[in-house]
Amino acid sequence: KLNIDVDTVQHGLEGLSYLLTESSKLMISEIDFQDSIHVLGFSDELNKLLLQLYLDNRKEIRSILSELAPKLPSYHSLEWRLDVQLASRSLRQQIKPAVTIKLHLKQNEDQTAQVFQTDPSTLLHLIQQLEQALGEMKTNHCRRIVRNMK
Amino acid sequence: ILDDPDLKDIDPTVLKHCHAAAATCILEAGKQKADLSAISTCLEDCKLDKERIEQFCCEYQKNKDALEILLGSIGRSPLHITDVSWRLEYQIKSNQLHKTYQPSYLVTLNVENSDSGSHPDVSFSCTMEQLQDLVGKLKDAAKSLERATQM
Repeated sequence: KLNIDVDTVQHGLEGLSYLLTESSKLMISEIDFQDSIHVLGFSDELNKLLLQLYLDNRKEIRSILSELAPKLPSYHSLEWRLDVQLASRSLRQQIKPAVTIKLHLKQNEDQTAQVFQTDPSTLLHLIQQLEQALGEMKTNHCRRIVRNMK
Repeated sequence: ILDDPDLKDIDPTVLKHCHAAAATCILEAGKQKADLSAISTCLEDCKLDKERIEQFCCEYQKNKDALEILLGSIGRSPLHITDVSWRLEYQIKSNQLHKTYQPSYLVTLNVENSDSGSHPDVSFSCTMEQLQDLVGKLKDAAKSLERATQM
């Protein structure tokens, strides 16, 4: 329907996707993008179209590229349940509280779920440790680094 | 006990029977959380004299708590979380994507398997929002626990 042969279309598509992917990966500014494609000698209208295409799709391309980086399974969600053990085969008349946790993790489209148990004091310890972790980003040290990295 | 010099004059088979009988008695008493009067009655039925019953009960009382702890720890349960470690990193770039500039947490749950004594730790990464979600849910569980203990 385009009246061009297959090879040209293919090359065109490859060129276009390379242009968009590289630009998105490097997160280049509008000006830099415009300067880069200027050398190709296209018409002003075409250049404007390409710039718009870049800006519109940049975010999505970047999020797809971020999936390619090496990574560990990531947190998906967590379910919990309170249990009290009343008896077992070896001991009757118990009152043993426990928290049962189901941790959902996700890695590259695969979801796994693992079941764990913990006692009340460990639970409180976990909460304390992780709250400390959350607080770290707000410290002066981290704030300074974030500021200077941009 | 087979090597004990005080017991060397007794026939080893008899010793084994005594040991097995004593162990069974102690474990059953522990399992049922029997009180001293129940144990005494039981031993009286076995025709033990008063002095021996008193000695037995005295020793039993001394070790009762340790026994209960031991019996309570026997049994299957899901993997038990014992501790957590975390690492905060700030991502700058990867070979696929530059200028990422995002904080990311790496969390490891230290897990103990009561059966095999192995440590199948679980590690995962999460963003700040995800970690907040995780902590929020754990806090809900803790609050629930607190309410349950007050009932």
